[in-house]
Amino acid sequence: MNLKYLIGWSSALCLSAIIAQAQETNEVDKLDQRLKQIQESFEKQQREMRENFERLIREQQAQIESLKKELANIPTNAVAAPTNAAPAAAVTPEQLKELNTKVDGVVDAQRQVRPGAFNPSIGLVGETVFSYRSKGSDQIGTDRPGGFDAFQRSVELNVAAAVDPFAKGYAVLNASADAQTGEATLGVEEAALQTTSLPWNLELKAGRFFGEFGKLSYIHDHELPFVNRPLALDQYIGGESRTDGAQLNWLLPVPHYVSLTTGAGVGFGGDSPLNNPGAYRALSGFNYYGRLSTYFDLTPNIQLETGISGLINPSTQDRGGVLVQPDGSTLTEKERRVAGLDLKVSYVPLRNNQFQRLDWGTEVLYSDSRYLFNPSGSLDPANPTHTAGWPAPSPDDYYGNVGSVGLYSYATYKWHRQWSAGFLFDYMQSAENHNDVTVAYSPYITWALSHWNQIRLQYTHTDHNAVSGLHPDDAIYLQWAWIIGAHSHGWQAR
Amino acid sequence: MKSTLFRLLSAAIIGAAALIPSPAQAAKVRVVTTLTDLADFVREVGGDHVEVFSLATGVEDTHGVPMKPSFVPVMNRADLVVCVGFDCEHAFLPALLEASKNPRIQYGKPGYVDCSLGIAPVDVPKSTDHSEGDVHPYGNPHYMLDPVLAKTAIQNICQGLVTVAPQYQADFTRNRDAYLAKLDAKIAQWQQESKALKGVQFVSYHEHWSYFAERFGLKYIGTIEVKPGIDPTPRHIENLVTEMRADHAQMVVREPQFPEKVPALIARQTGATLVKLPIMPGGVPNTSTYIEMMDYIIHTMVAAEAKRG
Repeated sequence: MNLKYLIGWSSALCLSAIIAQAQETNEVDKLDQRLKQIQESFEKQQREMRENFERLIREQQAQIESLKKELANIPTNAVAAPTNAAPAAAVTPEQLKELNTKVDGVVDAQRQVRPGAFNPSIGLVGETVFSYRSKGSDQIGTDRPGGFDAFQRSVELNVAAAVDPFAKGYAVLNASADAQTGEATLGVEEAALQTTSLPWNLELKAGRFFGEFGKLSYIHDHELPFVNRPLALDQYIGGESRTDGAQLNWLLPVPHYVSLTTGAGVGFGGDSPLNNPGAYRALSGFNYYGRLSTYFDLTPNIQLETGISGLINPSTQDRGGVLVQPDGSTLTEKERRVAGLDLKVSYVPLRNNQFQRLDWGTEVLYSDSRYLFNPSGSLDPANPTHTAGWPAPSPDDYYGNVGSVGLYSYATYKWHRQWSAGFLFDYMQSAENHNDVTVAYSPYITWALSHWNQIRLQYTHTDHNAVSGLHPDDAIYLQWAWIIGAHSHGWQAR
Repeated sequence: MKSTLFRLLSAAIIGAAALIPSPAQAAKVRVVTTLTDLADFVREVGGDHVEVFSLATGVEDTHGVPMKPSFVPVMNRADLVVCVGFDCEHAFLPALLEASKNPRIQYGKPGYVDCSLGIAPVDVPKSTDHSEGDVHPYGNPHYMLDPVLAKTAIQNICQGLVTVAPQYQADFTRNRDAYLAKLDAKIAQWQQESKALKGVQFVSYHEHWSYFAERFGLKYIGTIEVKPGIDPTPRHIENLVTEMRADHAQMVVREPQFPEKVPALIARQTGATLVKLPIMPGGVPNTSTYIEMMDYIIHTMVAAEAKRG
């Protein structure tokens, strides 16, 4: 009973507070409206000032050109000759030259802006990988041949510009040489629209893009800290995390950096096969993914960034078809799930960060895909099951999950503006059989002649794989990557 | 049942009341500056009405301030971002602005203050392709080392503050005028003290000193970098040493964020004096303000020149 009265009085008090607050809120609303009016008036004045300023610039440019012509016509000995004017008023040739130089500078600076004002920023990346592998591709399971190779891996055109005050658009078109024919067919790696003015710290990206999963999945090949993408990312994600869909990022409105990204798309992984939707794709055929990340300044010079990521495709619809195993059995994928934990610690001394830096990055991934197992290998690869529900096509077939762990860890030390070196460790259990383990070790050294020109030498030893039968392999890579045109230090490049 | 419903409803009302935000207090203007000299100016002009955060601490290369995610929430809540301009901050500011998701401070908005407005640039490149290194297409951005041009930056900062907080216009104007008067007195002092530097020929690691040299009458004969952002090659060092010997160059300036080895080598081979000079407040100890920094620069150069006899 007493409790009832207490709650009742509390409610009444709260209601009174709400009413008082509402009255105060009314006053605040009125002030807010007045402020908005003042702001609108300011913005209107600013627009007018900007238009006037641009008109003034045009008029002044015309005047400058006219003055320059006049200056050019003034003979210098006429200035040097004594006149009736006081010596202090005479303009010397040096002063004229200085004025001319200043005027030239202003005009040149304006010219840098005006002609390019409406062009998008355009850049081109070229990347060639020369290599030698000790075994043939049939023994090491690669697309490219073993032995000596020269692979034009990237001819990448980047274009970006503002679409309007609300969004920017960008595209990345890439051509990569085919292993068999050598032809480099241009493909769209990314082409997306990204909002720039959503409220509540939101950002929406839609189109074709690299979804945010982990730390390196959405980094283009030529920007990786080493030559080749880590094995776990190659197999569990399928290379770069390309998807066709939409992604929403939310910067949490708290004093500490916390970023949440979530998205959905058709396909996930540029080298990963798509689902086989047949005549109709249900929502379960999409890939759903997300990442939660945060950051800490451990000291002014030491940074830590970490995140957790998840990906699920509830119905992969026999993605990749019937997968034949070394023992002759087959698998057909029904559901795809990947989880990841990423961590990067960086030592970046503020005073000479252009000349010294140490990065340690690690990602651990867990793949938990669901398969239809066909131990006898009787499933016809040309006619995989397309079933509604989960019936087994033959009595000995069964459904099961394969849990596999993959990880990579690397450390790169930079001791000079141009030089850095590091080591990469790869460990991967196959997503189809966690007893099928691949381990690789890769020391590398990079010479960055400039921001836009770098050469990297890497050695990779891959251990023997007892389950798959793949041979141990030693490879040497020489990667040369260069950029022409616009270059931007995007957020991902930090 | 009824009493349970009553309890639930009351709890909901109490909870809702707790979530309603209280009326806004008189808030300070939150300003983010890219570099420490701008932060100093904002504090002088803004006084008690501003809360200032500088992305740089003073020891960094102005083109290489790290893009820390911890900057993002600060910029997200900022009312004003103040930058040097002339593309000085191209390596970190555009990405941070995008990551901040703060529409008020984006380029071209009232909350974006470009301090280079009204300044005639020098060293405007004829070509902006990469064969010229990491050039600044709009001209040399290091005008802040000329205290006369820094006054223009202060004017732009004042205008920016007035735009976002017009209610404090009188205070901002009064503070600006007081600081400009103080700066004018110091400029006169520096002009007097730097008479001993007239005609002194020097090189520096990066092209920071064009405006400074022009203001104080020194002769800036080159840089240790081959091109902006490109480290010196042995051939370039050899040519520079030859040129410095021919010109009897007196000084080698090393900015603290560059390694000492090559500047020291050049100084030894040419007989020039090696001096370490900051390019923004905080670059060396006891230079936490712009005036302290300029004092340090002038006094160090004058002392180095005096020591040469």
